[in-house]
Amino acid sequence: MTILQICQWLNDSPLGTSIRESDFSFALIETTHVLGITLMAGTVAILDLRLLGLMLRQDEVSDVAGQVLPLTVAGFVLMVISGSLLFWSEAAKMYLNPAFRFKLVLMLAAGLNPLIFHRTVYRKVASWDLAQPTPAAAKTAAVVSLALWTGIIVSGRAIAYFH
Amino acid sequence: MSLLPFFEWLAATRLSEAMSASVWAFAVVEMFHLLALAMLGGTVLILNLRLLGLRLQRRPVAEVTRELSPYSFASLAVLVVSGALLVIDGPLRYYSNSAFRVKMLLLTIAVIFSLTLHRWAVRSENRGISPGARIAAVVSLMLWLSVGLAGRAIGFL
Repeated sequence: MTILQICQWLNDSPLGTSIRESDFSFALIETTHVLGITLMAGTVAILDLRLLGLMLRQDEVSDVAGQVLPLTVAGFVLMVISGSLLFWSEAAKMYLNPAFRFKLVLMLAAGLNPLIFHRTVYRKVASWDLAQPTPAAAKTAAVVSLALWTGIIVSGRAIAYFH
Repeated sequence: MSLLPFFEWLAATRLSEAMSASVWAFAVVEMFHLLALAMLGGTVLILNLRLLGLRLQRRPVAEVTRELSPYSFASLAVLVVSGALLVIDGPLRYYSNSAFRVKMLLLTIAVIFSLTLHRWAVRSENRGISPGARIAAVVSLMLWLSVGLAGRAIGFL
């Protein structure tokens, strides 16, 4: 079975068809998706701006991270569930959509970035919690994160323009 | 008094003609609108959660406000400018869209509320959290959420 066939099968499944053919549930899921993205990207941007030393400089990085990340995770969960349902309903079309493919690559990179960050420079956060300026590696992670999430929002919106 | 003549005038401007003739102008402007929305949403949420005593409790409200509000105002400015350009792309499409009308009304209320009662609640806030400040935070979150929801609904009508 090729990926396209799997996508076609999802597309034609009862759940996929019912979401696609109901105006109301598609609109509702899409609105949830936009809210999830706002919650996720908006809160991750606050941590990134803190890492860049542009915001909340008097607060420990670990404190800001601890306060903000639960909201980011909540936004992420909302976004993934609603996004999967949207994909399900148009899987065959999505598989061929260049903006969707580009978005998936960016999402993979956006997932790797915090994994690397938490395993490297963030491990020793206690030693630079209030340091000004913040370490170059932390700034790099923040810039990469802001760029990736910008790219994800832009390419996500672009999906509709490639329909 | 009807605003229809104003929207008709907008539709006849050169900018409107250029926007609607361009394939990518609307898409590009809309992406800026979305990015600024995420930034405004994030900062408004954190500030109001602070007012509710749920986030950044160790910092005074005044300080969190001073740190976050420049980003809120900058994103609101980008939202207003990009939003105006989106309307200029097809003024008559928006004039007759009821979600757009509701959104403009809610946006006006949200901005006035932020600049008056909400600001007053933030200023009068010391270490403890007064019921007034909590109410202001919840009302602010609901208002901005409803502006966003009405905005998304424009595209579905």
